[in-house]
Amino acid sequence: MKRELTITTSRIDEALQTQSRDASSEAGAAITFSGIVRGTEESDSITAIDYEANEAMAKHQFEKIFDEIEKRWPIESVRLIHRIGLVKVNEPSLWVEVISGHRGEAFAACQWLIDEMKRVVPIWKHPVSD
Amino acid sequence: MNIPITFYSYFKDLTGTNDIAIDLPEGSSIAELMDQIYSKFPKLKSMDRSTLIAVGVEYQDRAYALQPGDEVSLFPPVQGG
Repeated sequence: MKRELTITTSRIDEALQTQSRDASSEAGAAITFSGIVRGTEESDSITAIDYEANEAMAKHQFEKIFDEIEKRWPIESVRLIHRIGLVKVNEPSLWVEVISGHRGEAFAACQWLIDEMKRVVPIWKHPVSD
Repeated sequence: MNIPITFYSYFKDLTGTNDIAIDLPEGSSIAELMDQIYSKFPKLKSMDRSTLIAVGVEYQDRAYALQPGDEVSLFPPVQGG
């Protein structure tokens, strides 16, 4: 399974990521997910989220998640970008692409990846209100 | 042995610091380390049930026996995405 992990303070260019898709002739499904910053956090209006990470551990835990995906489903590739630092409302903080032969495993792996990320990857949110 | 501890998220606010170091006998457990931490930072004890503990880049439980060179991180539940 090909894998690409980026933890960055730079803005995520979703269009560029889609254009740079690299799928084999066996691929029949490409799932992408963007997690975007909502304008409210626990009912309070916010303007941004400042993401903090234990970066070395986050990278390691993401790689373990990818390892598990490779064991569970026939996935061709996973690409993931998570921003850290300040991310404004409506901007993506997370971008995920899962490519596989069929949509069933792509949807399942993508859902599981995000659920597991929210359980174990050491990243935290600090809401910001101007 | 000297064990460095790094705090993340609002644990930094509860302790007033990003990191500390605690001296412990070799082979001390994480549970024993937590006792030392709570004696220094009583406010952190209220978060005990939800505190996540890592040594290096891996989660560990409180029975884990610390070794020289181990680096501990303490943090609240994670919030990625």
